[in-house]
Amino acid sequence: MSSESPSKPRGLRSYFGFVDGGESAVERKMTELKRRKTIRRLWAVLGVVVGGIAFYLSLLATEFTVSQLLTQFPFFLDALTEYFPPTTYSGIPFIDVAQYWNFMVDAGLFRAAGVTMAIAFAGTVLGLPGALLFGILASERVVPYPFNFLFRATMSFIRAIPALVWALIFIPLGGVSPFTGVLAIMVDTTGYLGRLFTDELEEIADGPIEGIESTGATKPQVISFGMLSQVFRQFIAWIAFDLEHNVRVAIGLGLIGAGGLGLELDIQRKTFNYTEMMACIILIVVLAGSVELMSQRVRSYLRDDDSEETGVLEVFLTAPRKILDSTAGRR
Amino acid sequence: MSTLTVENVTKTYGDVTALEDVSFEIEDEFVVLLGESGAGKSTMLRCINGLTEPTSGGIYLDGRPIEESQPSIGMIFQQHNLVDGVSAYLNALTGSLERTGFVSSLFQWQEPADKRRALEALETVGLLDEAHQRVSQMSGGQQQRVGIARALVQDPGLLLADEPVASLDPASAETVMGYLRKAAGVHEVTALVSLHQVNIAAHFGDRFIGLRDGGLVFDVERGGLTPSLIDDLYGSVETVGLADRRAVDRTERPLEAERRVEA
Repeated sequence: MSSESPSKPRGLRSYFGFVDGGESAVERKMTELKRRKTIRRLWAVLGVVVGGIAFYLSLLATEFTVSQLLTQFPFFLDALTEYFPPTTYSGIPFIDVAQYWNFMVDAGLFRAAGVTMAIAFAGTVLGLPGALLFGILASERVVPYPFNFLFRATMSFIRAIPALVWALIFIPLGGVSPFTGVLAIMVDTTGYLGRLFTDELEEIADGPIEGIESTGATKPQVISFGMLSQVFRQFIAWIAFDLEHNVRVAIGLGLIGAGGLGLELDIQRKTFNYTEMMACIILIVVLAGSVELMSQRVRSYLRDDDSEETGVLEVFLTAPRKILDSTAGRR
Repeated sequence: MSTLTVENVTKTYGDVTALEDVSFEIEDEFVVLLGESGAGKSTMLRCINGLTEPTSGGIYLDGRPIEESQPSIGMIFQQHNLVDGVSAYLNALTGSLERTGFVSSLFQWQEPADKRRALEALETVGLLDEAHQRVSQMSGGQQQRVGIARALVQDPGLLLADEPVASLDPASAETVMGYLRKAAGVHEVTALVSLHQVNIAAHFGDRFIGLRDGGLVFDVERGGLTPSLIDDLYGSVETVGLADRRAVDRTERPLEAERRVEA
């Protein structure tokens, strides 16, 4: 033990931990700790500076200023009263639901919703044969190992491209129209639903296959009764799930002009008709939510094993996010 | 009613001999194949069923080689091997696939006689009221009874059952064995059932064939199954508690303690 006080300051170098040696091992460790702390702080300062510069540049690039926000805010408030037009029902202030309703009727929004459904449904049905074919052929139990990968790879390629991009690719084929929307969803369905089918087929049990073989059944009979009938309900459930997903995709495709509700929303946005825009959004949420609700009830009825059921409110609240996810190709 | 003839059957897997020179003939009986796990019971049944081929020797059903008569052999599996998500009726109906064309079978255009046979088979195993229930919603014992029904719909001359009650609790095991015996009786089918529970075997069998290390140890009628034979079959460890019993006879109730759990 040294009689000298160990914490006696020895200048700035000592404070930041950049001195050599020390009287004891503990003392040397103390110095090292200080040095490490100094280095950490230097990195933190550097991070804040770089982040600050990037933030400033971003504001410049997007021309975002607080003064802009302040001058525009009254306009936003105005728009808000257009989004949610106020009125009074026997003296109680509330949103003027009649305005939404009138627009929905006048502009034929329900017909547009029908078109969106039609795009989704036709696309799903057209994609189904491909999904079944690729899904079954990609299964190792049906097609032996190296060859089934041909089908798997095709489906992977399809899935790598979101439905929105498929629609853009198909524009030369059908213009910006519901027709192109159907094509895009058809291709998307082949890739996704097929993959779900394959996964489902990988999980089937060997027992029932052997059981059917023992009855003297032929090979096609063994595939359809031993394998496919094991997953029949799951296939139907996946089709319901995919239809639900495709309705959301169809809404997203409408935004780029492929018709239906999405197109109406886009038109109203471009003409700054905020009440009408909100009417479209409401109908979109109701449509996507109802389809999801129905699809989920069908699925939980079909599969006795999983009991996941989302609440009614949750279905509608999460609809906008799910529409965006689906449009971007995620499920 | 068929006659099954097994002649000098030997089956080897590489260096391992699963069956060695086994011969027996059964006709119009309910025969139980006894032996510990690995004694060759499953291999024997798989050879008869045509799922594997014996290395040497011959198996004949009514004098014809077994390969020609596969459809007339009904198989009941340990894990029932039914299609889970489908009704009991449709599972039973798959027993008629061999007689039905591919397209007809896809659309369930089976002969009305086959459909009636499926319902009758379900009635035999006491499941007519549950005909439209999904198999996945049934108990293990009920599922195994559907498995019996499917085998019956094949209109087999010979019923094979590989450890049909091994994964069931003692009470269900008894029920299922009861139905299996009844089914064999009603449909006048020769049955060969492998079991490892000696008490259940003794309760239901007409005749007992014992296998040990792939070889035939005994082939006796009911009443001839003595504790010393069983002792010989299983070695001393498994028969502790059985050795001091005088005889094993059909009227005895299966005892929980005697159940051996197969790995």
